[in-house]
Amino acid sequence: MIKINNLTKVYKLGKKKMMELKTTNPEKIAVNGLSLETREGEIFGLLGPNGAGKTTTLRCVATLLKPTDGDVSVCGFDTVKQGADVRENICFLTNEIKLDTNFTADYMFKFFGELHGMTPEAIEKRQEELFTQFGINEFKDKKIEELSTGMKQKAAIAVSLVHDPKVVIFDEPTSGLDIITARVVTDYLKTLKEQGKTVIISTHIMSEAEKLCDRIAVIINGQKACEGTLPEILESTGADDLEEAFFRLYKQYNPEN
Amino acid sequence: MKGAGIIIRKELKRVFGDRKLVFSLFILPAILMIGIYSLMGNLIKSMESDITEHVSEVYVVNADQGFKQTAKEMKYEEGANVTYLTDAEYASQKADLEDKVLNGNAELIVVFDKDFENTVAAYTKAGDATPAVNVFFNDSENYSSQAYSVFSGVLSSYRTNLLAQRLGDLDQLNVFTQNDQRIVKEAKANNRFISMMLPYLITMLLFAGAMSVGVDAIAGEKERGTLASMLLTPVSRDAIVVGKLVSMAILSSLSAIVYAVSMIVAMSVMGSTMGELAENGFGNVSFGPTQCLMLLAIMLVMVYLYVAIIGLLAVLAKDTKTASTYISPVYIVVIIAGMLTMFNSGKAIPTTRYAIPIYGNALAIADLCSNELTSVNFLASIGGTLLLAIIITVAVGRAFNSEKIMFNA
Ligand SMILES: Nc1ncnc2c1ncn2[C@@H]1O[C@H](COP(=O)(O)OP(=O)(O)OP(=O)(O)O)[C@@H](O)[C@H]1O
Ligand SMILES: [Mg+2]
Repeated sequence: MIKINNLTKVYKLGKKKMMELKTTNPEKIAVNGLSLETREGEIFGLLGPNGAGKTTTLRCVATLLKPTDGDVSVCGFDTVKQGADVRENICFLTNEIKLDTNFTADYMFKFFGELHGMTPEAIEKRQEELFTQFGINEFKDKKIEELSTGMKQKAAIAVSLVHDPKVVIFDEPTSGLDIITARVVTDYLKTLKEQGKTVIISTHIMSEAEKLCDRIAVIINGQKACEGTLPEILESTGADDLEEAFFRLYKQYNPEN
Repeated sequence: MKGAGIIIRKELKRVFGDRKLVFSLFILPAILMIGIYSLMGNLIKSMESDITEHVSEVYVVNADQGFKQTAKEMKYEEGANVTYLTDAEYASQKADLEDKVLNGNAELIVVFDKDFENTVAAYTKAGDATPAVNVFFNDSENYSSQAYSVFSGVLSSYRTNLLAQRLGDLDQLNVFTQNDQRIVKEAKANNRFISMMLPYLITMLLFAGAMSVGVDAIAGEKERGTLASMLLTPVSRDAIVVGKLVSMAILSSLSAIVYAVSMIVAMSVMGSTMGELAENGFGNVSFGPTQCLMLLAIMLVMVYLYVAIIGLLAVLAKDTKTASTYISPVYIVVIIAGMLTMFNSGKAIPTTRYAIPIYGNALAIADLCSNELTSVNFLASIGGTLLLAIIITVAVGRAFNSEKIMFNA
């Protein structure tokens, strides 16, 4: 479903960014020759420390960034050459990308449905399903700015799923949510999986990766350190749990620490 | 361009669905404009009437009977508190009186030479003595200047009376009469005030309108992370650019109309209180249908250019604050371009200048008001602006497609 082939993403740093990062190198290799493939009906996790390149990878998949090298395809469409086709088939959720808070969830849902070229009836039907699923109906006519973080997150998820995409990309799905709301979200991700969707998430929470993901790729310094199901990863690293495996891999990729 | 219409609808809903925004974008400026202008008009009016109604303090030294008579005939003392002094009295108070005039406590000191009328009457041939009258006033004081000009009128009648006594028949002084007749294009004369102000106001107000809606629509959405969500839909980025620019153009035209209407209302309020402006032709602009269409066309291309410029700067900026910083120098340039047309000497302007965006549009509007806009200059002014606007629109499209600009990557 998602095919990442030798993806490399290099950020060109401006003078200010270089100062901030205290570096004289004008280039930052965020993702370095990453390849992976996800299957239909699975939840795939990118597990990595801060700055590993998870967000960058997901943005390349979502057509927001162009690979410096290598290529990415989603449902057989190339993210650079067939961006619009890719976007028909995905939804991308992150903390940085938000709904316009001046509108109601109801209006935003219809707005994005229209942008996806859906008919009013189709939008109506889909809204019924999703708003019930996420319990949005009570506050659907409130302006989004008046909602709590959790309510906003639920609304954002519902709106991004309006066009029933085959692939769901989620950058840190539970960050900023309480256990209850986080549970609603992870449960829904499982539902999506059962519906045969492909879900790819990024996380640095071990337990989340353990419980939620069918397969995990450990990303360190923009490279894939390890990939497989949980047992496969434990076996290849000889660790007892994911946290231990993660530390071993991290040491291996950062020998100086 | 699938999707542009949906975006336009959303942008309009965003503004019109928000009462506070409608108030601050459309209603408040109108209230302020009308308020400020009527206040200004009233202040000017009350200042003027205050000056004319002020009873001036006037000291007249050595006034002869003939002068007093003239002053009485002219009812001079109704508007002035006149104190007649003798030479001796004046000598003792001189410094004191001059001090009063200096400090605005008195308006005028008039000193006739001693034996003024006798000296005048004794004149028989060239070389005989002529007496003098010395008028002291303070032209840094409005009251004093006004008193001076009123008193000059009295003196001039006094002179005529004395001349009549000397010559008997004043007609022999009339060598010829001068008759003035003005030959002007009626439209030009009527609308001088408008053609001076209108281009400036239009260039400036259209920009102000575009600025107030454009910064938030693009830089604000970028800052809040809501623009990215639109970039994730299958709608092409060009359609998003078109949707944004068109909605900005609609809103800024609306706000420009609000400004213009309230300006005209304000001016006529001020005009009717002052009389002066109304006389100079505000409010009776007589635009024919062609002129209206031309004005509309010029304003439309200007709005388009402004929206494109503001759109470009707003998308280049990372947040609304930066966007405002980028835009203010452009605003200043726009204001200057508009003002340049106010100082037109009347020399013929080459067509190439009409092709300069913004400045050329202001020139064309000025010509339109005085009925002098040629079709060549009109086309040049439209063409130049349109060309630049299209180039900038392409640049906005590029910027929307640049990950460096959109995601700081
Ligand atoms: N716009 C940018 N310009 C320059 N460098 C960037 C930019 N965005 C990210 N980077 C750098 O690229 C690297 C990878 O960043 P990325 O955001 O992909 O990491 P991440 O795995 O998502 O981290 P986190 O868990 O903190 O979200 C980091 O070193 C980061 O500093
Ligand atoms: Mg991240």
